[in-house]
Amino acid sequence: MKKVIASVLSLAMIAALATGCDKTGETTVAPSNGNGDPAPTDDNGGDPTEATETEKQTMTFGTGSEKINLWSFTDEIPKMVGQYVKQKPEFGEKYTVECTIIATDGGAYQTALDNALVAGGDTAPDMYAAEAAFILKYSQGDMAKFASTYKDLGIDVDAKIKEADIAKYTIEVGSRNGDLVALGYQATGCAMIYNAEVAKAAFGTDDPAEIEKIVGAGSGNWDKFMEAAATLKSKGFAAVSGASDIWNPCEKSADTAWIVNGQLNIDPKREKYLDLAKTIKENGYSNDAQSWSEAWYADMKGEGAQKVFAFFGPAWLINYVMIGNSGGNKAGEGTFGQWRVCAPPVGFFWGGTWVLANKDTSKKEGVAEIIEWITLDSSDTGLQYLWANGSVDWDNDPNTATAKDTVASATVMAKSDGKLDFCGGQNVFPAFISGNAYASAKAMTQYDETINGYFTDAAAQYAEGNVDRDGAIEQFKTNVQDNLSF
Amino acid sequence: MRNKKLVNYAKYGYIFSIPFIVTFCIFTLYPVIYTFVLGFTDLKGAGNTEWHWLPSVGKNLFTNFTDVLTSKTFMKAFKNTWIIWILNFIPQMGFALLFTAWFTDRRSKVKGTGLFKILFYMPNIITAATMAILFQKLFGYPIGAVNQLFNADQPYNFLINEWPIKLIVAFVQFFQWYGHTMVNLIAGVIGISPEIFEAAEIDGANRVQTFFKVTIPCIRQIMLFVLVTSLIGGLNMFDIPQLLVGPKAANGAALTTNMYIKNQAFDGSYLYNRAAAASVILFLIIVVLSAIVFYILRDKDEAKLKKLRKQELRAARKGF
Repeated sequence: MKKVIASVLSLAMIAALATGCDKTGETTVAPSNGNGDPAPTDDNGGDPTEATETEKQTMTFGTGSEKINLWSFTDEIPKMVGQYVKQKPEFGEKYTVECTIIATDGGAYQTALDNALVAGGDTAPDMYAAEAAFILKYSQGDMAKFASTYKDLGIDVDAKIKEADIAKYTIEVGSRNGDLVALGYQATGCAMIYNAEVAKAAFGTDDPAEIEKIVGAGSGNWDKFMEAAATLKSKGFAAVSGASDIWNPCEKSADTAWIVNGQLNIDPKREKYLDLAKTIKENGYSNDAQSWSEAWYADMKGEGAQKVFAFFGPAWLINYVMIGNSGGNKAGEGTFGQWRVCAPPVGFFWGGTWVLANKDTSKKEGVAEIIEWITLDSSDTGLQYLWANGSVDWDNDPNTATAKDTVASATVMAKSDGKLDFCGGQNVFPAFISGNAYASAKAMTQYDETINGYFTDAAAQYAEGNVDRDGAIEQFKTNVQDNLSF
Repeated sequence: MRNKKLVNYAKYGYIFSIPFIVTFCIFTLYPVIYTFVLGFTDLKGAGNTEWHWLPSVGKNLFTNFTDVLTSKTFMKAFKNTWIIWILNFIPQMGFALLFTAWFTDRRSKVKGTGLFKILFYMPNIITAATMAILFQKLFGYPIGAVNQLFNADQPYNFLINEWPIKLIVAFVQFFQWYGHTMVNLIAGVIGISPEIFEAAEIDGANRVQTFFKVTIPCIRQIMLFVLVTSLIGGLNMFDIPQLLVGPKAANGAALTTNMYIKNQAFDGSYLYNRAAAASVILFLIIVVLSAIVFYILRDKDEAKLKKLRKQELRAARKGF
């Protein structure tokens, strides 16, 4: 009897340990999409709703004798491969694609991928995915030496880009000294996603064109938006959920990078965020919620202290975060159907996945075929068309079909249908296409994720009143200096 | 001559310990040595495996060490680690001693000690990661259990201000470990011969006197063990602060030395050399501190006895 009890107890302990291990990561950003930035105060970043996700998964497609290793941090690209094999069975007869999926939690994916690339050999990834937060490291930074150019793979890059009209910033991100090494399938140019009911109550209109005028869409600054925030406040609404919501636009719209010639450089547009965050906090223009926190989700449902006017984000924010947190599945439930999109005051992009190939791959043709289909094929059977129309259906299971998402190719976007019930039947693509056009990737470095963390904390400390403005900048500089050695 | 009838069991000891020794050498000893080596090199950058000794690239051999020691962030991390450890250790030891005194009291038997022991030990079974996330949710802002209970109208953002963060981290550490410490101390008390307590009782010592004059001196070795393990664990503190708020919150309010090392190596610049130097510094600090603790808490009577015996021996030799 004692033995039984002892073994049950020890099993329970091991189980407790195992569940604990799962939670260590606790932080996939943007569920099942993998896009986006970490929450500013949380180094591991992000959304805890997917805590049950296992650390490492594998998927295999095709039955061929030639093996392609694919590494990714979500099951998105593996599922695309599944779709491709279904669509073109002869590919599956020639190749077997072995997919390794490791979540980005706590840098797990990057560490594993780095080691696999450095080690080389048969098990090295032939193609791999990188997220916006760390793509620069693989396309231009320390790990770029492992990436093959698309030209070397045998893809007719220039012609294809022209034909598909790929969003410029995705090319900027994916280019190493002018040679393309990585491209995304999504475009994550952002729009302002606002609540029509709040807009009507505060401004007397919910027409996107009118709202664009009121918030100064495309003006490149926040002056008009802050005026609108004052109006909203006087009517009892919050302009944004938290100041951190406008950090993304401020950061991504900067003209100069954090590091210029080996020196730390604070772009005026980023520095401006200090003042914006302070103003928002002091005047109560927000519910003071952190991105990816409970309070943030509550604001999407309209259950925060004040009703929130707008969120800033790309299509995936709607598809993977807002719909799930709106408190409903059809118009009339929660805030579902109340949202509209329009161009934001400041253009930016947020998140996205890029696909790279290993320069040492022995399966060049196979890898090139998939990459071309995913990133550059603008035909009706290309991935991007299926992706934009929400019809990637890799295993004939309607539950796994994807949502309508914006894609990198403007050609595809133009012929796709972007009507969303969540947005009251509005065709959301035009607003996102203009978001793509505003977005620029000139001011990025591979250290952004870390440096942003220090900067947003400094801004939060300043807004909270713990330090003055100079103190905040001083604190930020010391932290970057000590942790990154510039 | 060797007696062949006796089986030499000693060799099985060696054989059975081979797997451990081998894994230890590969996965612990080698990395430790490699860390020492890296502290004197210029290894940095992701995916980079080539390194040179610092003098061969025209730098002082100890550059990494001076860089770490003069860095404000390292000093901050070091200070934080101490503050949080002390804030957690004092109440931890206090409560553990109090419960030990209650649960081992011979005169008034407390009912259900077994249950209490298990309950107090419980938080230690839950993994640190779970604890950290739990407390993160409890102290959430503007929506969180603590804020909703006490100040729903004026929510306070605990996890953005320096001292609340430090206190919460210290509290979680305390909450996790006081039960563990208590169990250790109780084990120590149970090991004391009952005759000593009886003698104290007969001599008329009251409970307080018995506890301070008999129990505590008798469990000194166990207390030393608790102190040293807690000190080493405390200086290596990592998971709770990392998962609760991360290394950047409130200008690094919860940044510990281990988080600093992780940041240097894997977050941003991949300064493996500096991270290695910081690890070596931390190692040396722990060695020195443990040595000091051992010296202070050594059995003074026994040390005296040893000295005396040596003197006697010497005197005896002189006599010859």
